[in-house]
Amino acid sequence: MSENETPENPLADLDQIIHAPARLRILMMLYVVESLDYVFLKNQTAMSWGNLATHLNKLEDAGYIGVKKGYQGKKPQSQILLTPQGRTAFRNYKSTLQQVLDDLPE
Amino acid sequence: MNNAKSLKNLERDMFRNSVQDGILDIQLGLMLLMFVLPIYLSPSLGDFWSSVVFLPLWLLVIFGLRAFRKKVVHPRVGTIQYGAYRKKRLVRTNIIILVVNVIALILGILSFFQFNIVSGWVISARFSVIILIGFSLAGYMLDFPRIYLYGILISAAPIVGEYLYQNFGASHHGFPITFGFLSAALTTTGLIILIRLLKKYPPHDKEGLV
Repeated sequence: MSENETPENPLADLDQIIHAPARLRILMMLYVVESLDYVFLKNQTAMSWGNLATHLNKLEDAGYIGVKKGYQGKKPQSQILLTPQGRTAFRNYKSTLQQVLDDLPE
Repeated sequence: MNNAKSLKNLERDMFRNSVQDGILDIQLGLMLLMFVLPIYLSPSLGDFWSSVVFLPLWLLVIFGLRAFRKKVVHPRVGTIQYGAYRKKRLVRTNIIILVVNVIALILGILSFFQFNIVSGWVISARFSVIILIGFSLAGYMLDFPRIYLYGILISAAPIVGEYLYQNFGASHHGFPITFGFLSAALTTTGLIILIRLLKKYPPHDKEGLV
């Protein structure tokens, strides 16, 4: 490598929407269940409502998560779930990150 | 850590967090009263009716606790729909519990007819083994370590009861003492877990969520 050459960024291929720790955590949780509600997600991630809403909006805008509106008795209760697109994106992220880490010298 | 393993652990932890509200412990503790209450009711109601009366009471307790979970615990802790892996394990657990109950019922009927023929130790040992197997399998399938401990304690109860009966003349093969003690211990454990959980998770104000 010459002095002026910028080193290749091995993380460039990683999906940057998923790569943020908070969103990665949300997606990991959604990956292993069918769906969960806002309260459970807030308790598990220990984020504030505002912070959680910001991350969920980004994931929803990317089409990675969806909201299933429902009712528990008479009260509305929405469940958050991973869309097929989100599941594929998460799998790709997982394998890309694994590849990057595997390629590191011992 | 292995990728798949950490996701599996995450799923297990999420499952535990969604069900460790103490209600299972309370249910189990109150269920053990089934071995105690009919004994005290039978002098006035007779053997058959003392057992029959317990059933609707028990159902009332189950529905009451479920309603409490739905109305009080879920709004604080949140709810989760399990994935295919967990659903499969829960179905298997239900099958195991059903099989264990059927075997226990058969053993119970068998013991009734063999009451004066077979030693009390044999009858107690039979129940202990089936309880231990049932609880161990349920603990494994549910990923619930406390169930193993409950299995050991509950399976020891008939044997300890028989010992108290044979050596100290405890009434009704020592069941009121051993199962009564366990019932109190499990119910208290459940209540402590439930109160701590309710303190940890106050009611949520979702106004911040748009």
